Amino acid sequence: MKKIALGAVLGAATLAVSACGQGVLGSDKTDDSGPIALGMVVPLSGSSADIGPYMKNGAQMAIDEINAKGGVDGRKLQLRVEDGACDPKTEVAAANKLIAAKIAVSVGGYCSGSALPTLPLFDRNKIPMIIPAANSTELVEQKLKHVFLINGTGDQQAAAAVSWMGKDGAKKVAVLHDNTSYSKDIATRTATGLDQPGGPDKAALDAVTPGESDYSANIASVLKTKPDFVYWTGYYQEGGLILRQLRQAGYTGKFMVGDGSVDAKLIKIAGDKAAEGAYATMTQTPDTIEGAGGWVANYKKKFGAEPGPYSTQSYDAVRVAAEGITKAGGTDGDKVAKALEAIDGFPIFSGPLKFTPQHTLSNGGFVILVVKNGAFTLRDALK
Amino acid sequence: MSQLIWNGLFVGSFYALVALGYTMVYGIIKLLNFAHGDLYMLGAFTGFAMLGAMGGLVRSSSLVALLVVLVLTMVTTGLGGLVIERVAYRPLRGMPRLSLLITAVGASFALEYGTRIAAGPNPRVYPVRLDGAAVDVLGARVTMQQLVLMAVSAALMVALAVFIGRTQQGRAMRAIALDPKACLLMGINVDAIIARTFFIGSAMAGAAGVMAGGYYGKIDFLMGFIIGLKAFTAAVIGGIGNVPGTMLGALVLGLLESFGTHWVGGEWRDVFAFGFLILFLTVRPTGLLGERVTERV
Repeated sequence: MKKIALGAVLGAATLAVSACGQGVLGSDKTDDSGPIALGMVVPLSGSSADIGPYMKNGAQMAIDEINAKGGVDGRKLQLRVEDGACDPKTEVAAANKLIAAKIAVSVGGYCSGSALPTLPLFDRNKIPMIIPAANSTELVEQKLKHVFLINGTGDQQAAAAVSWMGKDGAKKVAVLHDNTSYSKDIATRTATGLDQPGGPDKAALDAVTPGESDYSANIASVLKTKPDFVYWTGYYQEGGLILRQLRQAGYTGKFMVGDGSVDAKLIKIAGDKAAEGAYATMTQTPDTIEGAGGWVANYKKKFGAEPGPYSTQSYDAVRVAAEGITKAGGTDGDKVAKALEAIDGFPIFSGPLKFTPQHTLSNGGFVILVVKNGAFTLRDALK
Repeated sequence: MSQLIWNGLFVGSFYALVALGYTMVYGIIKLLNFAHGDLYMLGAFTGFAMLGAMGGLVRSSSLVALLVVLVLTMVTTGLGGLVIERVAYRPLRGMPRLSLLITAVGASFALEYGTRIAAGPNPRVYPVRLDGAAVDVLGARVTMQQLVLMAVSAALMVALAVFIGRTQQGRAMRAIALDPKACLLMGINVDAIIARTFFIGSAMAGAAGVMAGGYYGKIDFLMGFIIGLKAFTAAVIGGIGNVPGTMLGALVLGLLESFGTHWVGGEWRDVFAFGFLILFLTVRPTGLLGERVTERV
């Protein structure tokens, strides 16, 4: 009995303390002199752990640059990074942590499937979310007022894929996905594009179970339709295995991957020989953007490593967030969201920024890469 | 058609190596060792570390190097299995079955996330890749490496069958499966035999791990999860606790997956395979070659 009473007292005390904490932090937000916190949920562990540091560094670089110029309205920016592991449960917990820390804007989001459940959380707390990497069309289908995408969306990527397949002379295309939100979105949209009269035809649309090692059964079933072009829209781990096993099964046609598979590990897993000549649909990366040489050099100097996928988008997300806060004249979520909607022609890596009414980029900026001598290089800018 | 059969048998032989450990442990102490799939993962990582340590030596004769590493890894994962049995299962022997089951899940997580701390969360790529020209055999594309891997797993399985069926140790194992208490009274060192069973089962899983690493190339700390489930399914289809039945069940599961993908499409493959598991559990809960449970008790 005593224990229970003690527990109750402790519980009440905790509540009181947390209420106090909220009060103090709450007043912090209206305090116009302290630093402005930007939050970021990225994968630092799990299957996509390679990507997190690239995004974090890109964002940190923008923050340092802005702070060196005096910050936003005289207030310094601060980055808070949480690990989302590309897992919906972890990501929701991470988002709640950031919300409790009273971030002004969220500039994270890599895996669409796990970013999706965090959207309503940020939106309900009136925290604008500028998503640098995740790009499933599902993210904007809920039409949340505070959610913005600065990566090309699934339908833009699918359109780029179909247009390249036509340009490359493909006849029968097999599309493979891994049943996650992001991957299935691109795959079904690509399949719809292929079903249109003219251009290449759809040979197959099929899914695999992610996390396995042997995809020979899936591959046999796809090869039965005799494709001359295979498009994989999932992530690089399975992508590498599928590419390798396709070649082992005697497939000699073209192979293309979506932006989730653009990673040096894809080539390593598939092996140099199998990966050579594989295409990829990709948003612009530092080494494919013309005139980004100086940026890449700065990045290397700062972090002692090459920038990777989504470094530039994360860098841009922070800059766009800063622009929004500047224009809004403060960190009020609704005002920042309005200011973001009003942005017209703000320069980011993919071109002058102007959001569509759906809060996506008006121009997806997808390019085609090809694996040459064991590395992804620009093949066609699709301009 | 022959390609489908070959694919199914090849995948099935991996399932069989892992499933055997499941079935042996279940047969002897009625424990579903959920950490077993992770011993497969441990094997893959041990092999990876050994190949890394051998360095340049490996490139010249990759298949021989891989076979040496295979044997060393089997010993290592076997010892790993011994440790798990000693630390996690033996203190709980005689406790309700449920406590053991939960401990097994705990052991599984400990192995997975222990490996994550030691080797990092990112997938690794094997330095040695088995890749060879394919030969056409009755319309199926077969590579030399696939044949070698199949031969190794067949050899291991035959050795196991002989060990269990023909040796005194094997007889002791079968006796413990029937009645551990009577065995104790007959002067059999039950603890030692159980430990030996864990050693053999874990070594088999470790062998499968190295072979998968060398053949598929990519390893990560969660790779044991799905294959653990598949191996469990294979064991149930064949009759859990029954060694030849488990081998048969694994090959049947491999073929089911291969043909299921062919007939109903890739996204339905696991539905197809696990649907069969449910069918077996309802229609024939003892599996293809399993004995009637009543005879056991």
